[in-house]
Amino acid sequence: MLKPAKRRNILVFITALIAGAMSLRAAEAPVSLADADIARRFQARRAAVLEKSLGNIVPGDPAKGGFFDVAACLQLGRQREAALARLAVINEPMPKENMFWMYPMATVMVAGREGLDAASWARIQELWRIYWPSRGDTENHWCIYYTSLYLAAQSFPGAGPEQWFNGRSSAENMAEARSYLEHWMQIATSYGQGEYDSPNYIEEYVTPMCLLAGWAQDASLRHKARLMLDYVLYDYVVESLDGYYGGAHSRVYPRQVVAPALTPVSALGWLLFGFGEPQPNGTVQLVALSGYAPPPILERIARDRDRPYVERELKRTRWRLRHAGPDSFAIGDKRTVPVYKYTYVDHDFVLGSSQGGLLQPIQQQTWSLIWRTDKGLKSANTFFGTQPYSSPLEGTMFFGGDWDTVTDLIARSKADYDSEDKLPGGSPYEQVFQHGTALIALYDLPEHNRFPHITTFFSRDLTRTTEDASGWIFAQGGPVYIAYRPFAAGEWKPNDWTGLLRNGAGGFISTGFAEWGTGHRCYVSGARRNGYVVQVAPVREFASFEKFQQAVRALPLRFSTQAAPEATFTALDGRVLHARYGAKPTVDGAPVDFAHWPLFDSPFGHAERGSQKLVISHGAERYLLDFEHNLGQQTVVPTAP
Amino acid sequence: MKTRCILLVFLALAAGGWAAGPAAPDRFFAALAMTKAQKNSSTPADSGLYLRDAQGAWQHYGPRILGVAGLAVHPKDPNVILIASADGVVRSADGGRTWRKTTGWEVADVRSIVFELATPGRAYAATAWGPLRSTDSGATWQLAQAGLPKLYSQAVLADRAKSGRVLLGTEDGIYLSKDAAQSWSRVASSPATTVLRLAQSGADPRLLLAGSQGRGAWLSHDSGRTWAPTDAASAAANLYAVALSPHDPAAMAVGGWGAGVRVSADGGRTWTDRTAGLPVKNVFVLAFDPGVKGRLWASTFEEGTFYSDDLGRTWQDGGLYGAYGFDFIFVPPAR
Repeated sequence: MLKPAKRRNILVFITALIAGAMSLRAAEAPVSLADADIARRFQARRAAVLEKSLGNIVPGDPAKGGFFDVAACLQLGRQREAALARLAVINEPMPKENMFWMYPMATVMVAGREGLDAASWARIQELWRIYWPSRGDTENHWCIYYTSLYLAAQSFPGAGPEQWFNGRSSAENMAEARSYLEHWMQIATSYGQGEYDSPNYIEEYVTPMCLLAGWAQDASLRHKARLMLDYVLYDYVVESLDGYYGGAHSRVYPRQVVAPALTPVSALGWLLFGFGEPQPNGTVQLVALSGYAPPPILERIARDRDRPYVERELKRTRWRLRHAGPDSFAIGDKRTVPVYKYTYVDHDFVLGSSQGGLLQPIQQQTWSLIWRTDKGLKSANTFFGTQPYSSPLEGTMFFGGDWDTVTDLIARSKADYDSEDKLPGGSPYEQVFQHGTALIALYDLPEHNRFPHITTFFSRDLTRTTEDASGWIFAQGGPVYIAYRPFAAGEWKPNDWTGLLRNGAGGFISTGFAEWGTGHRCYVSGARRNGYVVQVAPVREFASFEKFQQAVRALPLRFSTQAAPEATFTALDGRVLHARYGAKPTVDGAPVDFAHWPLFDSPFGHAERGSQKLVISHGAERYLLDFEHNLGQQTVVPTAP
Repeated sequence: MKTRCILLVFLALAAGGWAAGPAAPDRFFAALAMTKAQKNSSTPADSGLYLRDAQGAWQHYGPRILGVAGLAVHPKDPNVILIASADGVVRSADGGRTWRKTTGWEVADVRSIVFELATPGRAYAATAWGPLRSTDSGATWQLAQAGLPKLYSQAVLADRAKSGRVLLGTEDGIYLSKDAAQSWSRVASSPATTVLRLAQSGADPRLLLAGSQGRGAWLSHDSGRTWAPTDAASAAANLYAVALSPHDPAAMAVGGWGAGVRVSADGGRTWTDRTAGLPVKNVFVLAFDPGVKGRLWASTFEEGTFYSDDLGRTWQDGGLYGAYGFDFIFVPPAR
């Protein structure tokens, strides 16, 4: 006889399998994109997530389960006593996770409000009084900090200064939090996010916006958060393929940069749009609890890959405290630099890039290629390059730390930051230019650069890698052919050639290395003046791999690394691309117009810089997100039946 | 008889200040983060203010906040205390019993905070996002950015000798305000680099010392109007620590990354390396102990705090192993 908890877990598993199978089928065969069907599938996945959460709380064993499991039990009115017992255990020690404690705690408070008992409320209120959580130093930190503070204060409406860790009343905390959150929304929808398009950190924006959209008592803020959720998720789906987030990213961890299926965004992609496999985590649980359902137009866009398109986006760097540089501009009293994103989205792949340079202090991915795959969580369906760089200049540009310690302290948590075999990271000596399916990367490294080489990542998932006598290296990544032409010779090395991550450095960032980190290799070139051309094409467009190679070999290419690195390349689409290090690139002789780069632009959406408005389109359908006018500006014009 | 009485009063004053009995020692705070134990984490094992007790042990003081860089106590009202932290300015009005953040979301990364001695209601803060000023003892704050082309600031000093005169260490050298931080102008002779620390002599208020990033130590003999480099041996160093003796205007010290501790006993004419005896050459804080004449305190990066009673010839263990020190603060007893 199975115990009730075990029976429930089996049921949950079966439910998740069904949901997973539904999503698998979705990838293989056309799925209905009618509103009702999208909603029905989403609700099935949501129910599976919540049911699994309930199973994580075990009556009689208060050592199991987390905040979100507790919240699920309390919200659904199931296993209340066990959930409260677990909560008492979780809340016993003094918290230490700062803002990462705040939002799970706030989730329990708002989602489980009706189910919490007096003792739980007393301890929760005491913790908010005695524990001073740090606000942190990133955009995502502040977003989750102020959202959590807002909702916690909302839960204690009359609490005075003496009842809060920071000596401010509930009313004061709510006012400060709201002011920041509205400022953040205004900046993000006018100039782009600073921590943009992160397959990892998108969850730290989805999470707070779900919290506000689900539980803010103020209707205006609740509505605005809902719009912001739609905004952030549109930003994702328009550059996604089967749930994988393609293109250039502000931040991505070493595990996820080689295994896109393991990103938090892929977990969200399953819940919200039915891509990939279920990957339960706190964010997925919170989204399920919040009651948020994405507007159907987002899934329609996410699945519409019949025609290739170009997505251009304007983002910005994280605020630059020091060494802002001549290319910076001020927003209020803070300085930043524009980030010009260009992404080519095909039925079978996504190739995307930013212009290079120091756009983030850590974990930047300047360009990447991903492709459609059926390998699931074990896939390594990506190809990209980097110039490993770390420096106190970069650290002090974005952090308030000291010149001589900032690199060391960054590497205490991001171990790969200061390693020569790092894979994510920006470089001031890298310039990237993309048009269509071709990309030119140029490098001009100073003599005493800390890591004087460039690295191109060749995944274990690539097949038929061929070093051609012409100088091109050809490979195939599932349904995409890749041609890579290095300007200077390099050598093949295993990824993680220092053994840093393999040997466990960095704690959680190394976890599971044997599964995701082995079998890859890198092409490493030590020439200071360097570069490469990447040309990709869908397999379906060529009769054979050899035909692709013949076509690429025939493409005119001139490059030089004698002075400033320079290349002129006629791409497969016939366009003549020219790039010179330090100069504006051209297409068919015309300089790229960065001055009028839109906030968003593709067949699926458009936003002008500074507008606070985004028009999302699919067919005849329009969805306007208007952040300038607080309420009532959401309009949907559905396709005619 | 009259002469003897005057002499007795003088001796009493010399021995114990104005108080009737023996003077209480200064309270000695260290602002720090315990980074040595920070493994696979973006946050230190502990942080905030530590107060040294009578037995020489360090006790955590005040709220546990990340990024505490300094502390200031109101010159007239010791109940009013300001903490410079990464989260903003945190203030107590009741001697540390309760605390309140007095800045909004716009303020972060406060690196230095001071009260003005001549007009104690005024307080100033240097932050990574630009300086702040307060005219109500830190209860509220205003941005103080007029005249600054670059806002990053790391050190602030309120001239003890003149009300409203403030010096600011910025990314672009030293800026001077003569109107209580309502406007700033660059001190032309200051180094064109980030000024990391400023100190004013307790013995001669005209004497100021600055530590800079990559440009070594700079000395001013005219209250900060003009500056000149001092100590050629550390001229290219990042000097995070500077100290001037409150008892002897000729005694001073500088310290930094790889520079160890360097001292001068002749007003900056000559400098001597006094790193021997310290476990590392990476020094972030130096301060002369106002309560113990000639005692110099040094905070190394993660390898402990030390003190010397012979201007660095020998060093004694002062505790706080594992700390990344940001400041030492001596607070005189309430009078």
